[in-house]
Amino acid sequence: MRYLMLVLSTPDDPELRPEDAAGAPPIEGWVARYDADGTRVTGDRLRPPPDAVGVRVRGGKVLVTDGPFSETKEAVGGFDIIDAPDLDSAITVASEHPMAHAGAIELRAFWPFGDDAAR
Amino acid sequence: MTTPATAVEDAFRTEWGRVLGAVARSTGDLDLAEEATQEAFATALRTWGRDGVPGRPGAWLTTAARRHAIDVLRRRRTEGERTEAAARLAARVDAPGDSADPVLDEVALGLDDEGWAADHPDDDLLRLLYTCCHPALPLEGRVALTLRSLTGMTTAQVARAFLVPEATMAQRLVRAKQRIRATGITFRVPPPAVRAERTEGVLAVLYLLFTEGYDAWAEPAGDDAGSAARRALADEAVRLARLTARVLPDEPEARGLLALLLLQHARRDARTGDDGASRTLAEQDRARWRRDEIDEGLRVLDDALAARRAGPYQVQAAIAALHARAGAAADPDWVEVLGLYDVLLAMTPSPVVALNRAVAVAEVRGPEAALAVVDDLADEPALRGYHLLPAVRAELLARAGRADEAGEALRAALDLVDREGDRRLLRRRLAALTG
Repeated sequence: MRYLMLVLSTPDDPELRPEDAAGAPPIEGWVARYDADGTRVTGDRLRPPPDAVGVRVRGGKVLVTDGPFSETKEAVGGFDIIDAPDLDSAITVASEHPMAHAGAIELRAFWPFGDDAAR
Repeated sequence: MTTPATAVEDAFRTEWGRVLGAVARSTGDLDLAEEATQEAFATALRTWGRDGVPGRPGAWLTTAARRHAIDVLRRRRTEGERTEAAARLAARVDAPGDSADPVLDEVALGLDDEGWAADHPDDDLLRLLYTCCHPALPLEGRVALTLRSLTGMTTAQVARAFLVPEATMAQRLVRAKQRIRATGITFRVPPPAVRAERTEGVLAVLYLLFTEGYDAWAEPAGDDAGSAARRALADEAVRLARLTARVLPDEPEARGLLALLLLQHARRDARTGDDGASRTLAEQDRARWRRDEIDEGLRVLDDALAARRAGPYQVQAAIAALHARAGAAADPDWVEVLGLYDVLLAMTPSPVVALNRAVAVAEVRGPEAALAVVDDLADEPALRGYHLLPAVRAELLARAGRADEAGEALRAALDLVDREGDRRLLRRRLAALTG
């Protein structure tokens, strides 16, 4: 199964403790390991939310916004796409990402191909 | 001699989970597993009377359920239904030998399942337990799914036990199963890195189930079916804890939980008086405690403690054991009780534990010392609206000779209480205080 890992910074999380962030494993090892075994399909860091550009088409006109659509404290700082046999494997991979310790990871399973019944 | 109908009923109670677990493991589809298991029991009801009760009912039922599941998968394939199982099946036929999946292999290869043996039914139960209690599912879904999948309770029965309409419970179960598919939860024992937390999660679901039923035992027995259904949850939880302790032999906390449930449940007949009011531990008629269950609980606890890996359930069970071991109407050794509460509080620093500990503080150091502990808890958000906070305070104030304040605290507790048994107890205390 494929999962999108949204890598979030969560400065307002009351459970976030400095010692957790300090103990986060380095990103290089994580990338090397999961690139090597084929788990990580792709991924990257993203420019921060103020650099976002919104695009909408309304009434046939392309509307472009300066910055993100919604201001939230939780910001997507990067993403990875991983291929994992099941959720528990994906959770294990996510839990080893440094930002799981210093922020949060949101796992989103890909919509299964041809499975329109799943909501 | 057991009649075939009784044999089916017995098998339903003892084998439902393992049959469902076996089919779920090989198909990866909980809905299909449920349907196939139901069908297997229906077939048993029809045929055991005619053909006799099989020597190994569990194995018979598993084979029957698997056969039904295979039929359904075959039918789906020919109908070209785009269910997930059918899609996976198609992939398998195109590329055989990708992975070991007995049912689908048999469908693909056209084999029958005569040679298939139920190898490790306990492993199937364990997988099912971890799946139903997966933390990616909403808590109420975990609880409902665990009951439905492991005990064979019908949706209607689960709904009655939780005082919700059957349609609501059905929806809750559907959503949980849908989420299993959508998020990619599979029927497996979790990887080593997360196994300890997951095991804790399983035990927490069982304890929650138990407390639902246990609370109903502290209420006056109603005439409505709801009361009986809720009380029965406690029995189901004890059964599930027994099963869990068996399939997790290396986990002393699983035995700790079983011991705790046995020791608490053994007091059920003494927990309300004839007036329908709850009775505190000290007021309970100990002759009505179930001695055999206490003995079993004590044995299970000793066995758990021998592993020398203490945890919160073992400590709570040890506290319950001190009360159980104290002879008729005698007090336990309160210094020991307080010592165990100190250990428990260090393990699980929760305000509810701290409130329970205050009762032991009162016995060892007197009511004023305990009042100081309780007053420190006054602003805890977790205790806001919890009637036992002012109720315990009232008891301590009364013992300290501060009757006016005790009455005030009792009235505050009465404003908050939502359990009839406790309400009657509080009213009686208030009457004793002012009368």
